[in-house]
Amino acid sequence: MRIALAIARKELSLFFTTPWAYGVFTAMVALSSFFFVNLLATFQQVQEQAREVTWPMMPPDMSAYRNLTDGVMVQLWGMVIVVTLFVAPFLSMRLFAEEKRNKTFELLMTAPVRPIEIVLGKYLGGLGIISATLGLTLVFPLVLSAFGHADSGTALEWSTVLLGYGGVLLWGATCMAVGMFISALTESQMLAAFLTFAVLLPWMMLSGVAQATEEPLRSVLTYLSFDAQLQNLLKGILDVQTLVFFASVIIFSLLLTHRTVEARRWA
Amino acid sequence: MAMIEVQHLTKRYRDRVAIDDLTFSVEEGEILGFLGPNGAGKSTTMKILTGFLPPSEGVARVGGFDVFTHPLEVKRRIGYLPETPPLYPDMTVHGYLKFVAALKRLPSRELKGEVERVASLTGVTHVLGRLIQNLSKGYKQRVGIAQALLGSPQVLILDEPTEGLDPAQRAEVRALIKGLAGKHTVILSTHILPEVTMTCEKVLILNQGRIVAYDDLRKLAGAQGTSESASLEEVFIKLTAA
Repeated sequence: MRIALAIARKELSLFFTTPWAYGVFTAMVALSSFFFVNLLATFQQVQEQAREVTWPMMPPDMSAYRNLTDGVMVQLWGMVIVVTLFVAPFLSMRLFAEEKRNKTFELLMTAPVRPIEIVLGKYLGGLGIISATLGLTLVFPLVLSAFGHADSGTALEWSTVLLGYGGVLLWGATCMAVGMFISALTESQMLAAFLTFAVLLPWMMLSGVAQATEEPLRSVLTYLSFDAQLQNLLKGILDVQTLVFFASVIIFSLLLTHRTVEARRWA
Repeated sequence: MAMIEVQHLTKRYRDRVAIDDLTFSVEEGEILGFLGPNGAGKSTTMKILTGFLPPSEGVARVGGFDVFTHPLEVKRRIGYLPETPPLYPDMTVHGYLKFVAALKRLPSRELKGEVERVASLTGVTHVLGRLIQNLSKGYKQRVGIAQALLGSPQVLILDEPTEGLDPAQRAEVRALIKGLAGKHTVILSTHILPEVTMTCEKVLILNQGRIVAYDDLRKLAGAQGTSESASLEEVFIKLTAA
C-alpha cells in the first residue's frame, strides 16, 4: 500500500506542478459557469412569469423551477456530468501513456513493485485530480446558498445537492478508471484521450438509443447507459443499484488495466 | 552458486532472434563487461535479467531466484540503469530520487539519508533542487546512475553508464564502478573499450545475439590466437567482423 501511495503522491504532484491540469481546471470552470449563468437566467425568467400568471397557471414541466435546487442545481449537475466526459480523458490520458513516452515505464517494471500497486497508485492519483477538478464546481451551490433565498427554509436542499454531487464524483471516478485502462494500451497520450472519449460518449448516449428499440433490449440498454443510471442520484434518490453499477465498471476497468500491465511479463 | 546465472537464454521476436542460447555466469563481487556492436543483444539481455522482458527460452537467475517465477525477489536485489535513463523531466532531482527509493521499498526513515548518500557518490548534491529537464545530459546520466545505486543493491546492471559524459566525468564513473567491486556484482555494457580494460575483470562479447567471446580479460587476447600484445580492440573487431 505504501508504494501505491507513493505513486499516487507522485502523480498528483506532477499534475499540480505542470500547467496541464490547470488548463483542465479552467475548461471545467469556464464551461460549467456558462451553463450556470444560462440556467440562472432561465430560472429568473420562469420565476418572473410565474409571478404574473401564478404557479397553478404555469405549464407542468415548469414546476421544476419552483425552487433553486430543482431549477438550477440538479440541471447544472447534469451538465457538469457532460463536461466531465469531455474533460476527464485529458487527465486520465497521462496516467500510463506518458510513462511509456518518458521511458520511465521501464523504471516501474524493474522496481520491486507489483503491477497491482502501480495500477492502484495511479488510479488514486487520478481520483485525486478529478476530485480537485470537480471540487471547483462546488462554488455554484455555495453562491446560490449565499445569495439566494426561498420563501421557506434554506435556499437549497443540501441533501439533494450533495447527493447529486456524489453522483458527479462517481461519474468522474468512472471516467478516470476507463481512461486509465485506455491509457495503458497506448504510448500516445492524444490517442488515449481520443479513444477514451470515443468509448464514454456513445456509452452515455445508450439511453437515447434505447428509446428507439423494443423490450427486452430497451431495458438492457437503459440499464447499461451511464446517463440513465445517474438520473436517480441527480434527483436526490440514493439507489444502491446505481452505486453497484458504477463500482462494477470501475473495478472491471482496474482489473483490465492490471491485466494489461501484467501482460508485459508474458510478452 | 553464482550471483547471476544465465542458461540457454533466447529471445525471439516475430521476425528475428535477438539473443540465441546465451549461457554465462557472474560470481559475487565480479565486474563483467558486456561488449558488442549495436543490435548485438546487450540491452535485450539486460532487460531480461531485470525482469522487463520475458525470455522465449532458457533461464535467468539472480541471487538464486529465477527472474520469471520470482520477479519481486530479483528486482529487490538489482539496481538498473537502462540505455535511456528513466527520468521524469518535471520532477526535481531530490523528488525523483526519493520516489525511486520508495519504489525500492526502502524504509521511510532511511529515504533522506540514502538519497543524500547516492547524490554525493555521483556528484549531484548541488543540483538536488533543480528540475531534471533543466539538467545537462551529463548530469541526467549521473542522476540515472544515482537511482540505480539507491538501496545499495547486491547487483548493478548498467547499460552504457558513461554515455554522454565528458572524459573527466567518465573517469569519475569508472572510479565509482571500480570501487563497487567486491561488495557488488556488476554487469556493465559499453562501446568504450578502454573502460572495459580499466574496470572489468571478465568480458563477454556478443555479436548478432550470440556469445563470441567469454573470458577473463587477460586471457582473451591469447585465447583467440592473436599475439599476446593484441589489444582488446583488435580482438573485438576480429570477432565481430562477420
